[in-house]
Amino acid sequence: MNAFSCSVTPFGENGWLATLSGGDMVTRALAANAAADALRCLQGVTDAVAGVESLVLRFRPEELPAGDARKKLESALKKSATQTASPGPAIDIPVCYGGEHGPDFEALCEKLSITHDQLIALHSSQLYRVLTVGFAPGFAYLGPLPFALQTERLSTPRTHVPSGSVGVAGAMTGVYALASPGGWPLIGRTPKKLFDPHGAEPFLFSAGAAVRFRPIDEDAFNTFKAETT
Amino acid sequence: MTVIAEVISPGLMTTLQDLGRPGMRHLGVPLSGAADPLSLALTNSAIGNAPDAAGLECTLKGLTLRFKSAASFALGGADMKAMLNNEPLDLYLPHHAQAGDVLGLGSTRTGARAYIAFEGGLKGEDFLGSCSTYIPAALGGHKGRALTAGDAIVSAGLPVASPQDIPVTLRPNIAHDFFLRALPGPEATQFSEGSLTDFFTTGWTVGRRADRMGVQITGEALSLQETPPMASSPVFPGTIQRPPDGKPFLLLCDAQTVGGYPRIAQVIAADLHLAGQMRPGDRIWFQKSSAEAACEIAQQRASFYGGFFPGGFFR
Repeated sequence: MNAFSCSVTPFGENGWLATLSGGDMVTRALAANAAADALRCLQGVTDAVAGVESLVLRFRPEELPAGDARKKLESALKKSATQTASPGPAIDIPVCYGGEHGPDFEALCEKLSITHDQLIALHSSQLYRVLTVGFAPGFAYLGPLPFALQTERLSTPRTHVPSGSVGVAGAMTGVYALASPGGWPLIGRTPKKLFDPHGAEPFLFSAGAAVRFRPIDEDAFNTFKAETT
Repeated sequence: MTVIAEVISPGLMTTLQDLGRPGMRHLGVPLSGAADPLSLALTNSAIGNAPDAAGLECTLKGLTLRFKSAASFALGGADMKAMLNNEPLDLYLPHHAQAGDVLGLGSTRTGARAYIAFEGGLKGEDFLGSCSTYIPAALGGHKGRALTAGDAIVSAGLPVASPQDIPVTLRPNIAHDFFLRALPGPEATQFSEGSLTDFFTTGWTVGRRADRMGVQITGEALSLQETPPMASSPVFPGTIQRPPDGKPFLLLCDAQTVGGYPRIAQVIAADLHLAGQMRPGDRIWFQKSSAEAACEIAQQRASFYGGFFPGGFFR
């Protein structure tokens, strides 16, 4: 049993923050998301947002008094702790590792004392789960990252990370859906669009989904990019 | 589709904004909308629009446009000394333009953002129920970007009521000193006692970065007690984070949905609109508040503005 415990503290005048601890990261993240989904349907709830191991519930006190909101939050988390939703088929993310697409690839291999092929094999053989979506539209926090690949964030974040860049940080990996500043070491880049505000399905990722990275070479990257833009 | 006007020069940054996309943060989608939503809502009321109609948000230096058809509009927020064919215009009053007339806004020295509401509202690209421009994802507004010369400003043709008189006492008081009430945040206990006390007692200065994502605040760096790094957790407009440089950062309407830095405080909802008018060099004081006090203030505010925003505006 992947039991976790949670502590609840106030967040702003109309909010509660639940922080989950214990158990494994996937269980915590999926429980937080399942609870958030359930809470979002309740009268008086304005926001139910999951972090990687946390959940914030915000409400209109005239419709949902603070004390009731807290009880709803705690019971939703209790209920979601026992849910074991299985993911659908894995979302395929083709990645061109290293070179100009992964400016930290070389340094990371050196730091972790692994070869290029080992880094690619370790990163692409793991089946990841979307722990939560957030930060920016289309960004997904994925985990767990194999222990052998775990590293800290860059001490100075980049001011510009191209969209599609694949990064790693701590026990997570993720893809920058939008060009933005960013502090995760970058190991590669996908040509796949992760967020399309004009598409029928703007978001590729949702919490709990399974994701697998597939190594591709520069030519395949360029061909894919040309076909999809 | 009625083209109201054409942009002659866009100013520093002019975007289409309404009141944003509330309740979409679980999708990673920020609120967006007017950085000073109260000023936009009141400007809309002044021309008879619903409070959430889309208008133009001008930043520091306003735009110049030429009307292509007769239109009515109102101005609000920071005073950018607007002129219609070289006639100065008052804020929060209806004005009428004919095709060919030129509306020009200048710069502001007090406050950061001016709003222009056109009768019937503006039409922009819809995403999740709002046409607010969110530039980082190139969505909403006019092609997801700030206006440039030659862009058309198009009416949404929404139904309008009669323009409302906006008493001076209801208009946001825009100055160089800001007093924001705030509640200690979830990580407040991780700060050294001195830092937490300082935060709520000393004056701070708006740093060089003051944009729609947030406002950098300079002063004595906040120090943390020895604490483990935190996992990314939800943040909201009004959340004050402490990045590694120790300078507090107040998140605004375009802020990301989750963040990994300790949250020292949360500005109360009723005061947050003020932050949209901060400019580098302005002074800020944070006053410690409580949940009970904040809810009471929100109720008072709702009844104060009840005639304008019957659906409730300060949520």
